[in-house]
Amino acid sequence: MSFFGFEQNNDLENEKRRFLEGGLSGAKQEDVAVYTWGEENYDGLGDALLEGGDELNDETFGATGDIGKDFDFSGTALPEHEKAAPSQSAHLPQTGQSQQQPSQPSQKASHLESPHSSQLDAIWGNKSPFSVLPRSNGSSRAVDQLATQSPKYTHKPASLNLGPDLHKGVHTLEEIEKEMLAAAAAQHRLQQQQQQQQQQQQADEHSLQRELQQLQLQEQMLHQQHQPASPNLLQSPTRAHAQRPPVGIQHTATPPPRMHPHSQSPRFHQQQQQHQIHLLQMQQQQQQQQRQLLELQEQRERQQRQQLLQLQEQLKLEELERQQQQHRLQQQQLQEQQYIQNHLIHQRGISPALSDLHHRGLSPAMGERARRVGRQSPAVMTPQVPLDVPFAQNMQYLPQNIQMQQRLLAEMAQAEFLSTMQGPGHSERDAREARELQEMLRVEAMRKIMEAERMEEKRKRKLDKIAHMSRYNDLMTQSDKDFITRIQVSQLVTQDPYADDFYAQVYGAILRSRMGIATSEDRVLRFGSGGGVGLGLGQKVPGRRQSAMQRMEAQVERIVNNARLREKEKTSLNNLQGALGRTSGRSYKAAPRQLLQVDTSNASTSPTTSHVTAAHISKADSTKQEGEGAAREAAKMGREALAVATEGLVRREPLTHRETLVKLEHLYDLVLDVEQRRRDQPPPEEVEEFEQWTTECNAIIDQIFDELMVSEPLETSKPHPFVSLITPIKGKKLLPRVARIFELQRMQVLLTLIVACFLQLDVVTQAPLLDTLEETREVKELEAQTQAFQNSVVQSILPVIAKAQMRLVVGLFGILLDECTIQTLVMTRPGIALLTLFFSRVEVLRHNVATGSEVEELPTPEEMQRWHMMYNLLFDMLRPHLQLLFPSVRLALQANTTFVNIPNADVMDQPVWQFLATLAVHANEEQQQALVTGLREIVLENVATATKGWGNDSEERRRLRLANVNIFLHALGLDSSQITL
Amino acid sequence: MLIFSVFKTLTDQTVSVELKNDLSITGTLKSVDQFLNIRLDNIKVQDEARHPHMMAVKNCFIRGSVVRYVQLPAEHVDTQLLEDATRRETAVQKR
Repeated sequence: MSFFGFEQNNDLENEKRRFLEGGLSGAKQEDVAVYTWGEENYDGLGDALLEGGDELNDETFGATGDIGKDFDFSGTALPEHEKAAPSQSAHLPQTGQSQQQPSQPSQKASHLESPHSSQLDAIWGNKSPFSVLPRSNGSSRAVDQLATQSPKYTHKPASLNLGPDLHKGVHTLEEIEKEMLAAAAAQHRLQQQQQQQQQQQQADEHSLQRELQQLQLQEQMLHQQHQPASPNLLQSPTRAHAQRPPVGIQHTATPPPRMHPHSQSPRFHQQQQQHQIHLLQMQQQQQQQQRQLLELQEQRERQQRQQLLQLQEQLKLEELERQQQQHRLQQQQLQEQQYIQNHLIHQRGISPALSDLHHRGLSPAMGERARRVGRQSPAVMTPQVPLDVPFAQNMQYLPQNIQMQQRLLAEMAQAEFLSTMQGPGHSERDAREARELQEMLRVEAMRKIMEAERMEEKRKRKLDKIAHMSRYNDLMTQSDKDFITRIQVSQLVTQDPYADDFYAQVYGAILRSRMGIATSEDRVLRFGSGGGVGLGLGQKVPGRRQSAMQRMEAQVERIVNNARLREKEKTSLNNLQGALGRTSGRSYKAAPRQLLQVDTSNASTSPTTSHVTAAHISKADSTKQEGEGAAREAAKMGREALAVATEGLVRREPLTHRETLVKLEHLYDLVLDVEQRRRDQPPPEEVEEFEQWTTECNAIIDQIFDELMVSEPLETSKPHPFVSLITPIKGKKLLPRVARIFELQRMQVLLTLIVACFLQLDVVTQAPLLDTLEETREVKELEAQTQAFQNSVVQSILPVIAKAQMRLVVGLFGILLDECTIQTLVMTRPGIALLTLFFSRVEVLRHNVATGSEVEELPTPEEMQRWHMMYNLLFDMLRPHLQLLFPSVRLALQANTTFVNIPNADVMDQPVWQFLATLAVHANEEQQQALVTGLREIVLENVATATKGWGNDSEERRRLRLANVNIFLHALGLDSSQITL
Repeated sequence: MLIFSVFKTLTDQTVSVELKNDLSITGTLKSVDQFLNIRLDNIKVQDEARHPHMMAVKNCFIRGSVVRYVQLPAEHVDTQLLEDATRRETAVQKR
């Protein structure tokens, strides 16, 4: 290959070539290390060579004595030894590897290898069993073999002994022969010596080895039994052969093996069948090699494991130490803290000398500790630190905060030490104070640190929790949520969203009007297809939601339409075809099941004739009817016959409670209808529609007027049907709504009827019941009724009276003007209210006359004349019971106390004071005088309690009381401040 | 739809919900749906000693079917309007 002028590095090749070409000189010139083991000039130093850490060598590489032929690297000429050549290449990196391992064994290994090459001659000697290797018959080994091979095999001894002579060049054959013989003899001797030596050395090992061999054999047998069909077994007659694996592979795979003792001491086995032995040896060698490899690996592993174990133990030890340290540290810290506290206490409470003693006693320890802490610097952080320096190696593992605290404490201790070293001299107190302050600060600082840590931990925990929970974040996208919302909304779509969401719509409208937001539009989402969704109150409208609404509207409409289509498909004839199981006809709309199943068809039949249906409304009614039914029916029929005969007036029984309610409900339906119609009022431009709407509305309004039975003659029944209708609270509450529908003329008729039937009203007839301090159910009920009357009925007739002309007022007043009527009336709140309304209206009219404003039809003088006459009459009727007008006075009479003590008297009396004021306005001087004398007592009492604060009245009540009195006094042109007590 | 409509006006008001298991929960009404499922906030259970497990609960969703009564704040209910709404409802049903 030096073809290209390259000097090849293939030394092995070159050497081989030279060797074969009889390059003895080359071999000699080379400075080859010459080993003289086992030869005569062997100084035995090899045995004396003892290096450290060799103890395990035997274990690793086996006994030194046995060296196999595997290290016979020079015997390359032999064909079968070429097989061993690869083992060399395999061997070399292996030693390299082993050198990376703990160095001692590898050293020994290389040391062991060296003698093998020098004992080549032994191998190739006549008596060596190895020399028969090339031959199949080992016993027929001949000298010619030696002769053919001797040039090579005598090389080494020759080069050793005869080398220089050869170089001289001149030798006789005899000389050479002699020399050769001598060499052979020497060799023989040498071999014998060696043999003996080795025998002695390896005697015990040998026996062991043999045992091992036997064991191996047994194993092999076992193994063979396990694989009887192995092809190797068929090929070779012997077990050994059969067991032998392909040699080449074996060799390349195996690391340098330990030598078998037999290979080194062949003579020992000379008597045996050498060929077989050889085969066996081959086999054994291979197995040995395997074994050795395994052992080596095991050994290495064991070593590693041991090292690991050692390390672990070390670590464990360290860990233990650390724990101990920490424990000690904590204890120390605790002690120190305690000490600090004690110290403070001592300093405060105990004499300086004692505290100082305390100081000295502890401070050195602290100082020592400080010194020890000082040693904790990372410089000392070697892993094998003696146990007696406990902190040093473990400081690095301690948590940061402990380190910090440690340092802090150390500083503190040092400072303390220094301060105590200064002795209890001059400014001890100052120093102590300073120390105290410092300590306080430190304690505070530590406390703060701890707190901060706690907070941090808390925060961390919170974050963890949030993180844990946020796993499920964004499982649904916004569009998913929107989709579900739309599905839900689509369930709410109805044909008439306003009607279905009536309450929320109207309530929202009322709320808005109360808040002053003028939005007449309905809070309804209408769809093009006629459906829609009521949105409820929906105060918060604007912003982003507007566009979202529009989007939702479109999508919901689509959903609804699709659902409708599906519904339609379902209802078609074929929808059940092929359907298995239950098919529910239920719509998607899930309304709560109605628990009350009232038969509405039955209720709509006339309640008057059906006693059975009436029964459950009022038991009293029904029983009464049962008893008197027949008689009454007869009397009624008689009366009707009579009435037809006379003036056409039909007298009837008053409406029963149930009848009233039924009628009222019908009225309500009508009113609602009208209200709805008014809401749906078509624009006046669409004449036809508008006219139709107007006529329909008017028809309903007419119906309402008829059903209110306002036009019925007064004598129809007692109480009048209309009075019956407004007896329930919901009847009273109907009036304002009716008043909104009716025109003025109808309202005047209504007003007239109310005034005419005033004494029939429940709130008037039962009014005396209210003059009690008891709180019974009836009183409460009546109170509620009266409240409803004042709020609904009086409020609805107020605008009528406010617009009434003098003629009407005088006419209505005339109806009331009757001794008995007035007496009853002025004792009731509705009566007082009504009279006050009349008086104020007349006052307004009189004012109009005085100013001459031509707004309305002015009262004629005759009407004024009549008014004055009626007023005088009324005044005369009232004059004796002026004081009794006050509910508080009436209550006081009942309770036998003064009216001042009546709770809530001022609120009750207020309408009366207002009535008296209007009365006073119309009074002439003489009448005013009479008023003052009549009310003097009450006025004085009120003013006195109000100004002087007698009793336990609150400021508010006193102010109200004074205001009440002033209303009346102002009408007379007076003031409460003019009154001197 | 009527009661649903009423409840719509009562959002953010305080109501008491009595359940069929005799639990009475007072809280702020957050929302109601067509099944009258109720969502309450800042709840407080009547007779907490008997229901200690409810003490830690701050809000809840109540299935409509388990509600026995709902106590409404009277000042936030227009009785007359409610009557009217009922009349309309029955009028619709009669038709």
